[in-house]
This record gives sequence, C-alpha cells and structure tokens, in this order.
Amino acid sequence: MQIYLPIAELPVNIFMILSMGGAVGFLSGMFGIGGGFLLTPLLIFTGITPAVAVATVTTQVVASSFSGVLTYWRRKSIDFPLAFVLLCGGIAGSAVGVWLFSLLQAVGQLDLTISIAYVSFLSLIGGLMLIESVRAMLRSRSGKPVSLRRPGQHNWVHGLPFKMRFRRSRLYVSVIPIAVLGITIGFLGAVLGIGGGFIMVPALIYLLRVPTNVVIGTSLVQILATMAVATVLHAVTNQSVDALLALILMVGGVIGAQFGARVGQHLRGEQLRALLALVVLSVGLRFAIDLVLEPVDLYSFSVLSGGGQ
Amino acid sequence: MSGVAANSGLLARALLALVSLLCLAREGSAETLVTALSEPTVKITSNFTGAEIVVFGTVERDATTVERPDAYDIVVTVSGPTETVVTRRKDRVFGVWVNNEAVRFMDIPSFYALHSTRRLNEIADEKVLRDRGIGAANLEMRAEAGVNDSAERIATFRDALLRLKLQEGLYAQRSSAVGFLSPSLFRTNIPLPANVPHGNYKVTVSLFRGGALLTSEQQKLRIAKAGFEQFTYSMAHTNALVYGLATVLMALGTGWLAGVMFRKE
Repeated sequence: MQIYLPIAELPVNIFMILSMGGAVGFLSGMFGIGGGFLLTPLLIFTGITPAVAVATVTTQVVASSFSGVLTYWRRKSIDFPLAFVLLCGGIAGSAVGVWLFSLLQAVGQLDLTISIAYVSFLSLIGGLMLIESVRAMLRSRSGKPVSLRRPGQHNWVHGLPFKMRFRRSRLYVSVIPIAVLGITIGFLGAVLGIGGGFIMVPALIYLLRVPTNVVIGTSLVQILATMAVATVLHAVTNQSVDALLALILMVGGVIGAQFGARVGQHLRGEQLRALLALVVLSVGLRFAIDLVLEPVDLYSFSVLSGGGQ
Repeated sequence: MSGVAANSGLLARALLALVSLLCLAREGSAETLVTALSEPTVKITSNFTGAEIVVFGTVERDATTVERPDAYDIVVTVSGPTETVVTRRKDRVFGVWVNNEAVRFMDIPSFYALHSTRRLNEIADEKVLRDRGIGAANLEMRAEAGVNDSAERIATFRDALLRLKLQEGLYAQRSSAVGFLSPSLFRTNIPLPANVPHGNYKVTVSLFRGGALLTSEQQKLRIAKAGFEQFTYSMAHTNALVYGLATVLMALGTGWLAGVMFRKE
C-alpha cells in the first residue's frame, strides 16, 4: 500500500517502512540502542533525501527512547543529576549541529559529511567494542570474573576540577568531561540523526566508571531530551521533519523493540556487545565502499528555491 | 554595370512579393485553437502515486482558411513552477568522491512534459523551436556564471541537469503522443509522476502547419496538496515551532503507549 509523505514529497510503501522500523527496533531492543545510525541510511536508500531522513529519525528516536526511559524510571535506575549535566551539554551541541546541518546542505557537502562521519565513528566505536567484547569473552572462558567497574581505580578524568557528587551513580567527578560528552553527542545527533547511545554507553562505563545498571537509563534520558530539542530545531530551521514518516517508523520500531528485548535477555552481555560491534562495523564499511567506489553518475542536482512553493 | 542593377532590382521585387505572399498566408490561415483540460486542479492526497491529465481541443477554421496539403501538428507542453537548482559534479579528492564543481541554474521549470504529433524536428525547424523555447533542449536556463565559467562548461552541466531531470521523470518528451480523433479534434494524456512538484503550471498547446507556428493557446493547471498532506505541509512551513512541538508530543505519546501496551507485569 502506497502512502504519500507530505514533507518528503514522495509516495512510499507503508509496509516497507513499517518493517524497516520493526527491524531496526528489534536490534535496538536487543542491544539497548536507539538504532538511528541504522535507520537513517536505510531511509536514504529508499530515496528519501538525507535532510528529511536525518530530521525524521530524530523524532523516531524520541519515541523509542521515551518508552525506554519509562521502563528504567520504574526500576529507579536513572541518575537525574548526571542526565541533567549531560543534557545541558547536549542542547548546546544540538544547536550547533542543526546550524552546521543547514550550512552543509547549502554548500552541497551534507551527504559527504554524513558519510565520512559515519565511516569514522562507526568503525572506531565498532572496532573498540569488538576488541573489548572479545577480550571479555576470552576472560570469562578462562574462568576469571568479568567486572567493568573497578572501584578505587581512577584515571585522568578524575583529576579535573569542578567536581560534583552523583549519588545514584556513586560518583564524585568533574562536570567538564560530562558536559563535553553531552555536547559531542548532541552535535552528532543533530548532524547525523543518531541518538548517540552507542557512543554514550561505552563512554559512561569506561571513561566515567558509571555503574552499568544506571548507564542505560541515564543515557536514554539524555538522548530523549536532546533528540526532542533536535526535532524542534530541525522543524524550525529546515522544515524537514516528516510527521507521517516518523509515525510509521515509531509504530514499527516500538513493536520490533519488544521482540528484540526478549531475545536480548537470552544472550550474554559480551556476546551482545560483540554482535552489536559487528553490526556497527558493517554499516561503517558500507559507507566506506560508497565513498571510494566511482559513483554511477558523477552529476547530481538539488533544488535551492522555488518549485512547489 | 547595368546588368547588376537590373539584377538587384529584380531581387528586391521578388523579396517584396515573397513578403506580401507570407502576409497573405498569415491572414489566410485563420485557424484558432479551442483547448481544455480534464481537470484544472490535481490534488495530492495520501494515496497519490501520480496522476494523468487529458488535454484536448479542436482546430477551428473559418471561411478564409486556405486549404493546404500539409497536416496539422500539435505540440502540448506542461511546464511547472520555476525553481533555482544547483548541478554538482563529483570528483575524486584524496581517494574519496566529493561534490566539487557546481553551476547554478536560475528559474528553470521544475517540471516539463512535451507531447507532440510527430518528432519535433519533423514539425518545425530548429530555429523556430528555439525562438519559441519549445523542447527540453530549448528551455531557457540562465546559469549563474562565475568569472572563469566557459560556455562549454555551462553546457556540460546543463546537459547533465537535463539528463537527470529526464531520469527522474520530471522532464519528458514524447512524440506521436498527440492523436487526432477527427481532422480537427485532438487529445493527449499527460502522465504526472509521483514526485511531481506542486504549484502553478502552464499548459501550452501550439498548432503548427508546414513548419510554421500558426497559433497557440495557454491553460492554467494547479497541482496542490490536499487534505492531510496540505494541512501537514502548511503547518510545517507556517507554524514550524508548533509543528515541531506537536511532533515531539506525538513521539512521546507513541512511546508511552508502547510502554503501556507491552508491559509484562
């Protein structure tokens, strides 16, 4: 069944979009990530312009992360002060990101920036995760206990000024690295249409040593708020949020996420991380190939103004 | 010497005769066109996957019309609202394909479909077509030229733009697509693809005979989003902030609903 999207201005097959949302939702439920980094490229592949795809996926991430936040809230595993500091950085980062987004679009280098950013971030994060999870698997096989949190062990991050106490995370650290992390993720989220969970979760665990049970809930709160702000900013600056497309994606996504979460519960943590690393790496590779191979058509055009006003 | 003068006098007289003959022919060919569209407005609604408009009309002749052996030729063009586009070319920079050079074209039709009874070059000379801007290749495309923009470079980008527009179905040229149902009644069905831009269109019907343009008629066509599509689009553009906030609320609602529906306990 074809349905015409009011902002993307093209008809799409509603079942295809639903199943895309469902498939990405499945992975996101299984791995506890937003899945924006998978959904945005899929949408671009169906012919939706990168501008609309990125902006609309931010809206979809709002829905999926809110659903997650409610769950973690009930379990009381959210550190709100920590989320608040991340968020302040996140909003600043998003504003810069949306501004850069419109600038790059005007200069014609948006697609390239998105591709290069995807390649570098996905391969970096994917590679790190793969190494870490394989090590954890080897460790657990040799019978040693797997522990991510080593209390008493501090790194350079803990030597910075402006310290603040985060009770639920049992942390006493400087707000600088937290705000910087927030800014980075808000910025990436706005430019790439990704929630940034796959960057945030490892950063909170390894860099700040936040307990794992608090990390996902807290990172979801930050992602929710940042993406909500990014949606509004995209709507105001670029008019590129397609509400209908977002709704179809959300419906597919939340259903897929439920099944994904159930499958995820039967897998071990390090196995999940290794699988996710492979998914992340393969998406990165896909973008790298596109950048290096000679395109079928060297020419392209984009409408700057007029036509359908 | 006198021979040359006589010759030039003869030539002048012959030219005069030719001109008066042409004028006579103009007056004599008193054909007029009466045209109509199947619908003046095409609505884009949720189930829009493209549409088709029918352009039809008759060639009206009066008593002074000179009978000639040549058949009538009809050219129908549908041209969309103008837009400014930028055509870019990718080049390899450090092993990566990057948008490099670009040429901007101002006020080009966003959509252009041409239907004719025969191939354009059989209907009229290149010059006639060019003067009237008939045919995709003859469209006026004003390039915003830089200082060192050569004519060839602009032509290359212009050709690429035409090719891309054709590929996307936004430009189309179909000969033998206008049919005569009777000696004077003609019609053609013009498909509008799903990605057709919305706005005000001009439908021009031109009547040719023996390589000359006799007359032409213009109709207005409007392609507009309707219902939900129209509501969403105008909200997104005129009330961007409200639209953004509403979308976020919708997302929150969906997320909450999902949580409630799938809660295990």
